[in-house]
Amino acid sequence: MEQTLISFISALRNADVRVSPAETLDAFAATNLIGYAERDTLKRALWLTLPKTPDEKERFDQCFDRFFDVEAIDSNTAADEAPSASASSDLGAMLQSGDDAALSLAMAEAGRETGVSSIQLFTQRGLFTRRIMERMGLGDLNAEIAALRDGSLADLELAQSLSAARDRLRGQVRDYVEREFLLHADHDGRRLREEVLRRVKLSNVDRRNFRHLKAIVLRMAKKLETLASRKRKVFRRGHLHVPSTLRSNMSYDGALFELEWKSKKINRPKVFAVCDVSGSVASYARFMLLFLYSLEAVVPRVRAFAFSSHLGEVTGWFEEHDLEEAITRTLKAFSGGSTDYGQAFEDLHDLCLDEVDHRSTVIILGDARNNYGDPRKTLLHTLYERAGRVIWLNPEPRSSWFAGDAEMRAYLPYCHQARVCNSLEHLERLMTDLVKLGR
Amino acid sequence: MNSPAHTELVHSIENVVDALRMEGYVCDEHVGTAVYLAHHLNKPVLVEGPPGVGKTELAKTAAAMFKLPLIRLQCYEGLDEAKAIYEWKYGKQLLYTQVLKETLEDVLQGAKGLADSVRRLHEFGDIFFSEEFLEPRPLLKALREEAGCVLLIDEVDKSDQEFESLLLELLSDFQISIPEIGTVKARSVLPMVFLTSNNTREISDALKRRCLHLYIPFPDASLENRIVEARVPEVLPSLRSQLVTFIQALRDMDLKKVPAISETIDWARTLLILHADRLDADLVRDTLSVVLKFQEDIETVGAEVPSLVRRSLPDDA
Repeated sequence: MEQTLISFISALRNADVRVSPAETLDAFAATNLIGYAERDTLKRALWLTLPKTPDEKERFDQCFDRFFDVEAIDSNTAADEAPSASASSDLGAMLQSGDDAALSLAMAEAGRETGVSSIQLFTQRGLFTRRIMERMGLGDLNAEIAALRDGSLADLELAQSLSAARDRLRGQVRDYVEREFLLHADHDGRRLREEVLRRVKLSNVDRRNFRHLKAIVLRMAKKLETLASRKRKVFRRGHLHVPSTLRSNMSYDGALFELEWKSKKINRPKVFAVCDVSGSVASYARFMLLFLYSLEAVVPRVRAFAFSSHLGEVTGWFEEHDLEEAITRTLKAFSGGSTDYGQAFEDLHDLCLDEVDHRSTVIILGDARNNYGDPRKTLLHTLYERAGRVIWLNPEPRSSWFAGDAEMRAYLPYCHQARVCNSLEHLERLMTDLVKLGR
Repeated sequence: MNSPAHTELVHSIENVVDALRMEGYVCDEHVGTAVYLAHHLNKPVLVEGPPGVGKTELAKTAAAMFKLPLIRLQCYEGLDEAKAIYEWKYGKQLLYTQVLKETLEDVLQGAKGLADSVRRLHEFGDIFFSEEFLEPRPLLKALREEAGCVLLIDEVDKSDQEFESLLLELLSDFQISIPEIGTVKARSVLPMVFLTSNNTREISDALKRRCLHLYIPFPDASLENRIVEARVPEVLPSLRSQLVTFIQALRDMDLKKVPAISETIDWARTLLILHADRLDADLVRDTLSVVLKFQEDIETVGAEVPSLVRRSLPDDA
């Protein structure tokens, strides 16, 4: 039974319920206490120990129902017909006796021996079905049936009933294997897809995959958030820190000369995100904004600007609407128009130059393709001097940064950092830096 | 908690559910199982769920059921160890140093040289940081409780992340380390710990891992019916079922804040005072503010009241 619980837990992990070894031990302790006799009680006990969010609880329910499938193996006919002779092979005797529990136990045992839980591909079902049948003693049974066929009328009857039972069993084993496949294999290719999506260029991603991308972004953001908030310190100003005051004044004979305060050190980064949303870069802007705003808890002060021919602030939309809606609105309002970086920087100066200070990070996302217009790099220079950091993200590979109408050569001296950014992995790296910066 | 009087109570899950009901807390088997496992495995329980479903009440009831004192720690932003675990009695410590200064001469009398003086000082024994000067706060108090207790850490999601880390030692090993003194372990009887969270922020995995996780959703109609029956027994059964059906219908509507069980109970009490024996549209409109806490919601529901009332009537009426 312990083995069963362990494989149930691995099935849970496969269904995206995170179960730690400590929780596994808890589950064992709970089941030892409660026993396996009552399905509902068992389910409730595991429900308390294993899944830890409402979302996980739901997946747990599904997984439990699928795993501990109560559907009994139906085997009535073998007993009904009751042939006078009895089968001699082990499997045959088991089939004939109609002992469901023993049969399913034998099936699970054989399944474990053949390693059915390592099944990876849908096409392996036949293979595993046969292996399990063989392990259960199919060979002996077949030989017996063949031998009985040549015998008396009673033997013939037995042979018929046994071969019918064998076919039923095969169906059941196939069902069992299928269930194992659903539980243990990466059946919808989720992990593979995720792996690929993290690396692929964002502009190449199909629209129908946006949903998955979004989920990945949210999960990445979540991870970063927990990483960062662990480091965040909470301080309040104006509170005397008595223990450390006493300690540091020990040397003055207990007279309080030097006061120690609960110091305040909040260094939340101010982020100005300036996104080119013209056709080619729009999908990158979409995911960068999504990422940035998912990090709200650790990067709370984000101001977002979008431009193609002119620039405008879109922060308000992100405050009022949900992410999806805000991004759609942004793209609708500012995309289309030919890109003019000079104009964009001028608008940016008018809008918020006063608020950029040494703690601000300015992120510019764009390919710097200025349609041969005036790059007006002096404007970026002022920004560079005021801001703590200017980061330029360019979705194009480094080799084409200086080709054609790209103005990266003009802008590069005024960026603290310029990097290629065209996949979720790149974005994640950027955000990790950003979050660290604020600490 | 393992005294004979308690083993009777937690002999089986059904017993727990019954015992909780005796104390006026009606719940389903999930909650019963949680208390049962918490008792037998000595694990803390993290209770989550929408506001007003009786998370805090569960801890209070468990305390009453086990006849143990309830020690409560209300969490808020900025809560730190000085308020949750222990604090030094600074005033007394200062006085102590003064007293010490006066006795210093006696101690050092006849000492030859600095080394000797220092040695004597060490021998003298320092109680500056000792239990006498320790002011226990709820968590430490809970550990030192001889006969065990129920410790309620309420709304743990309101506290800061660091505070969660402070809790980890307590939750996994039932001990607290005080740098100046050492480790304080729980007495032979471990406290039973309940943590509640409204999910305003995700609780860290480390904390969740150490707890049993109980999610209490809004109750279904029959459970809510029984809850109202237990809490406000004076309400007529017909009115009760009408009330519950009405509230259940409200929960399906798109409201800013859906009514919780506590609101249902408040409403039942209100109707009792008004001597109502059945719901009608006017009565509902007059008392809606008991159930709904936002003007917007009251307006939204106001228009629907007659049809909601009609639907809440039993079919045979």
